[in-house]
Amino acid sequence: MRQALTWKLLAREWRSGELGILLMALVLAVSVVVGVSSFVTRLQSALLSESARFLAADMVVVSRAPVPTSWVTAAEAMTLRSTEVVGFPSMAVADIDHMALVSIKAVSMGYPLRGELQWSEEPYGAVRSGGAIPGQGEVWLAPRLFALLDVNLGDEIIVGEQPLVITGAVRGEPDATTAVFGFGPRLLMNTADIPATGVIQPGSRVEYRLLLGGDADSVAEFSEWVTPSLGQGQRLDSVEGAQPSIGETLDRAQGFLLLAGSLAVVLAAAAITLASRRFGERHTQYVAILKSLGAQSREISRLYGRSLFWIGMMGTVAGCILGWALQETFIRVLGAILPVEPGAAGSKPVLIGAVTAAVCLIFFAWPPLRRLGEASPLRVLRADLSVADAQRKRDFFVGSLAIVGLMWWYSGSAVVTGAVIAGLCVVMGLGFIAARILLSGGRSVGGFAGSIWRVALAGLQRRGRANALQMVIFAMAIMLMLLLSVVRTSLIGQWQAQLPSNAPNHFLLNLAPEERPKLEDFFSNNDIRAETLYPMTRGRVISVNDAQLPKWEEVMEDGSPRQREANFTWSESLPTGNELLQGEWWSADTQGAWVSIEEEFARDIGAEVGDRLTLLIGADPLEVTVQSVRSVDWQSMRPNFFMVFPRKVLEAFPGMYMTSFRLLPEQKSLLNQLVRVLPTVTVIELDIVIREMRAVVDQVARALELVLGVILMAGGLVLISGVRSSLDGRLRESALLRAVGARKGLVLGALWIEFLVLGGLAGLLAGVGAEVAAWSLQTQVFSMSWTPTPVMWVLGPVLGALIVGGLGVWSCRRVVNVPPIVILREF
Amino acid sequence: MIKVNQLLKTVPTADGDLTILRGIDLSIAAGASAAIVGASGSGKSTLLGLLAGMDVASGGEVWLDGVCISSLDEDERARLRAEKVGFVFQSFQLLPALTARENVMLPLELAGVSDARQIAERFLAEVGLRDRLDHYPTTLSGGEQQRVAIARAFAREPAVLFADEPTGNLDTRTGERIVDLLFELNARVSTTLVLVTHDERLAGRCDQRFSMTAGELSGS
Repeated sequence: MRQALTWKLLAREWRSGELGILLMALVLAVSVVVGVSSFVTRLQSALLSESARFLAADMVVVSRAPVPTSWVTAAEAMTLRSTEVVGFPSMAVADIDHMALVSIKAVSMGYPLRGELQWSEEPYGAVRSGGAIPGQGEVWLAPRLFALLDVNLGDEIIVGEQPLVITGAVRGEPDATTAVFGFGPRLLMNTADIPATGVIQPGSRVEYRLLLGGDADSVAEFSEWVTPSLGQGQRLDSVEGAQPSIGETLDRAQGFLLLAGSLAVVLAAAAITLASRRFGERHTQYVAILKSLGAQSREISRLYGRSLFWIGMMGTVAGCILGWALQETFIRVLGAILPVEPGAAGSKPVLIGAVTAAVCLIFFAWPPLRRLGEASPLRVLRADLSVADAQRKRDFFVGSLAIVGLMWWYSGSAVVTGAVIAGLCVVMGLGFIAARILLSGGRSVGGFAGSIWRVALAGLQRRGRANALQMVIFAMAIMLMLLLSVVRTSLIGQWQAQLPSNAPNHFLLNLAPEERPKLEDFFSNNDIRAETLYPMTRGRVISVNDAQLPKWEEVMEDGSPRQREANFTWSESLPTGNELLQGEWWSADTQGAWVSIEEEFARDIGAEVGDRLTLLIGADPLEVTVQSVRSVDWQSMRPNFFMVFPRKVLEAFPGMYMTSFRLLPEQKSLLNQLVRVLPTVTVIELDIVIREMRAVVDQVARALELVLGVILMAGGLVLISGVRSSLDGRLRESALLRAVGARKGLVLGALWIEFLVLGGLAGLLAGVGAEVAAWSLQTQVFSMSWTPTPVMWVLGPVLGALIVGGLGVWSCRRVVNVPPIVILREF
Repeated sequence: MIKVNQLLKTVPTADGDLTILRGIDLSIAAGASAAIVGASGSGKSTLLGLLAGMDVASGGEVWLDGVCISSLDEDERARLRAEKVGFVFQSFQLLPALTARENVMLPLELAGVSDARQIAERFLAEVGLRDRLDHYPTTLSGGEQQRVAIARAFAREPAVLFADEPTGNLDTRTGERIVDLLFELNARVSTTLVLVTHDERLAGRCDQRFSMTAGELSGS
């Protein structure tokens, strides 16, 4: 066939609208994939930069000794910005009667590199942010320090040997959760004043932090360069590692977003397949006529190959533009509720869109069109000739492999891909069994039922094969939508469970036994709910198996074990949130001189299960054997201990108590009263940490909901394509029924039943498939426990029946609104 | 023009092979008109498909204008159809996406004829559809659609024209006009005309008349 003729035919096909349907499906597929992946990429980069503010930087070198200046020079050479932070606990003195243990943070120009430092002129005045840090000779205090030290703005306080003027109140630090220097309230000063204070002496507990900011490549380059030089007491903190629970939240959110993107790919492929099948079916007769007029198979293949190529080009370009517009619209419309300022999408989403289009066209759209070339010209005489089934099975198999590859590439996770595929396989397997049983069983039921049912069931049966395929596609789309909803709900549920709104946000340490009544009175007078009081003794591990451990300050540089001081408690059972890694737990009434130690603590002192430890509690020595090693969930907001003893071992030692409690923001000033009532207690304020973590979780949860919305829309469009794919046959038959005198009610009723049965069955299968996929995703990808979701088993069939039923009847409404002859003429 | 020797056609079914044509012998001279008549299911359309090279025989030979089409593959047979064969079908088989003119142009374009548009318009004018050039098939009556199909079939001035129940979907008066048109063009273009019909009056107008009964052909 000459090139010009190909173009003419293509133009004529286009004018007829048939190619338009295929193009629409492709544009839909590409735009959903590009839209979702751009949206996801932008959200991901936004969330990553959002989480960078927890470090106040993109990366931090943390060191117990000053960071070598050669590292700063190297970082600057790699185009990284840097600033130094020094943190240590010390005393702040206003006068002889007013002094407090504070957590000092000295910052230098440029701090913070990410996020914002918030401050105010008055302790609880209007919050300001941007650019400023305390100047040389100045300090900013945490609001409650003003009351604690009885000072005002402009007063002087002394840190070490240096008087400093109070010029502001520190109200919020981006790295409050990661840069913690002791338990006291914050005092912010300038690094330039540190030498004059004279508080940093050899052996002082000081943390030096070199904050680095720049693009991901430079950060990675510096990380690679500096890692081999890191010595004892030095480490690199990155966004993911800095705050484990935030890192985990982001990991899971990323997993979810990638899952959503993969589902978009599957839905896109389903939409293309449906449209191509319909296109192919509608064109078989067309090709037979062309062939009867002398067109050769090769020419026909070339015609459709070229058509597909141009459709592919147009669809990809239009889909990319529309996808971009889609995500841009999302971001604009949702601007106010978007968690963070979205980052740049880059070119990857477009590449993903183009590859998706190519794979969908080659493996899903091309096979039915390629088969057109093989259509027999005899169809012009006998319309009942059909295409070999074996070929369709092979095409389906090859196409499925392609889609698995695409999902894998896109999600970057074999487990995510596997979980979705497992669910889809269940849907397909059960779908074909159910289709076979139910659709063939329909005949006997139909025989006894009223005429509406008889017509509907006969319809279901007559198109048995097409219905089975349609049902599986409906089920797949519904399954993917259910799956994403379930995973989103359980992820958000788990995050919220991690940080319940009534979680304690303050710890209180060093409560003497005789002070317990005072504390209880204070709590009850001020309507504060107190948690259990835990016994707590402070002590030091001095030797392991009789080998004396060096003191902390004696091992600045090498990695050898050293003495460690820690808080001890006793417990009859393994504390909640702890996991036994080695050894065994003791029985409640044990008399054994045992101890259970936390894993990192065990590494620090160089002890294993079975080792004998010598401890000093006050001046009293204690010998115990390591019975077990535990991991501890430090994010649990519960009191956690490095060393846990059996009750009998520790009871004999004088100890203090600790507890946790919840203070509302408006109760914050009660802390100063509490410290006055109980001057010896130490209060650790975690409310800021919790607030920051909750903010991230809320933002991520909102992002997931937006993406879920996009996927639900894509799923809805596949359902519409699915309904449309069988429209011709149904319209013709319904028109015939009307032509032979069937009432509108009967035709509509039969259509309702047919689509309700299809949708209901599809929903049931979807429920089962989604459960299987949710199980594998929750247990394998999101490290969550799986619980069945019975609501899905009900919601699936009900939603399936209503949506498919509604869409189906709506799509076929012409059959009762237009004279049957008009419809019959079209076929 | 057309010569058939011992043509056999069987199709596999669940109950074994079903014989549709049983050793057909047939000869039609160039420029002649021939009718194949018979009841529904007698094998007329199958024979037509084989004569036009749209199907493959299970045995025997079909010669069309000196070429043994039984030995050609699908593409060679398509080429032969493009060069020498025209069709008129009972259900018109117009492409719904194309206008009347475009439907007629299609075989000309497939054969690479340069002035396809002019030829198509001329033939459409000959069948009385000068005013319907840009109409789509769905907007034409049955008779008009069949006239477009006839214009399309004759536009290439084929050596052989096969017509499968050309009046089957038309009322008597329209059918008669269509048949008149068919024979007029047949005479003018000197095409060999092979008709499959169960209309005895139509068969009576042909030079040769063959009767098909249960896969066997009789007549001359």
